[in-house]
Amino acid sequence: MIRKTIKIVNKLGMHARPATMIVKAAVKYRSEFKIIKFDMEINGKSIMGVMTLAAEYGSELELVADGVDEEFLIKEIAEMFASKFGEE
Amino acid sequence: MKKISVKEFYEQKKKDLSLSLITHPNTMQGYITTSFLNRPGLALTGYFDRFDYDRIQIIGETEISYLQSLKEEVLYNNIKEALVYDIPAIIITKGLSIPKQIEFLANEMNIPIFLSRLTTDKLFNSLRIFLQSFFAQSKTIHGTLIDVFGVGILLTGKSGIGKSECALELVERGQRLITDDVVKITSKEDILVGCATNNYGHFMEVRGIGLIDVAKMFGIQAVRINKSIDVQVELMPWKDNMDYERIGLSDNFVEILENKIPIIYLPISPGKNIAVIIEVVAMNHISKLFGYDAAKEYTDKLQEDLKRKTKMRENQIEEKE
Repeated sequence: MIRKTIKIVNKLGMHARPATMIVKAAVKYRSEFKIIKFDMEINGKSIMGVMTLAAEYGSELELVADGVDEEFLIKEIAEMFASKFGEE
Repeated sequence: MKKISVKEFYEQKKKDLSLSLITHPNTMQGYITTSFLNRPGLALTGYFDRFDYDRIQIIGETEISYLQSLKEEVLYNNIKEALVYDIPAIIITKGLSIPKQIEFLANEMNIPIFLSRLTTDKLFNSLRIFLQSFFAQSKTIHGTLIDVFGVGILLTGKSGIGKSECALELVERGQRLITDDVVKITSKEDILVGCATNNYGHFMEVRGIGLIDVAKMFGIQAVRINKSIDVQVELMPWKDNMDYERIGLSDNFVEILENKIPIIYLPISPGKNIAVIIEVVAMNHISKLFGYDAAKEYTDKLQEDLKRKTKMRENQIEEKE
């Protein structure tokens, strides 16, 4: 299992489009994928779950992946956050 | 550790507890970190061993009349000593007026004093209820919560297994949805209560369609805000060699926030009507609450029958002999 803390750097926060991008990327992998924000822990492969976080600009999230391809999953997702989902 | 700032507490409960702040607004700086309350009683007399200063201090008629009976210097000294402690807030009940020195000292020492119009008893009750639910243990889990014939069923399972679709079918059959996908569970005095994590409404994602609003589509009777969780049903893909429950004599339990609830592992395969099975799970749970256990009833009958037949056989053998 690996964990990685990331920060939301796109101004609009995690709205529907980035949430969809994350879920679509995550379901390609076999590992389990969770996102944690404070005391809220959700399934990163579920669109409603990711949107429920209502993660705003500047907030911190913890990504947790567990499974055979965990490193690749975290790497791809973390890159998406860093690239601001192609936004500002 | 959970905490709520005194400022936030005041904003939230100002109306319910009919509170007004009598000290300077800047005194509201601390945090409430426990659900317990304290009546300072002995602390006002100058006895500070075991003084629970980290709780909200409630001052009622008894304390006020005691304080009023004190000489001015004694009162000043006692209060000064008490307010050295890091008290989150003091609440005076019944709208009683307090000696001016207390107000002065509280402003000096930065401790907020609120005045409530409620009686001590009423204030205690409402405050306890609020603080207990605020400090109650809670967690969020991935699942769908649905009220089936009054039984709170928590559907869990891997994403894509069909929890939402199952919930949708149940809703269509007249059951009520609490929340889909993310359930916030709070432990309240031996029961688990589930609700949504936000107040956006009853939305749901259906693969291939996208988001739908269940309350708009099926009407307000198809939803509810919260529900106690009675049974967990874990949906799992059918595996040939898996050992599924066949008779139901022994119950499996799962522990959520130190509460045990029954769990049912439900194998699903194409063409199986899960919604009906979930309704059966709920009805079976209700029967058990009423003291009727179908599995036990059947096996008891079987055992009786076996006993009777054995006896008959023995009798036959005896007759032959």
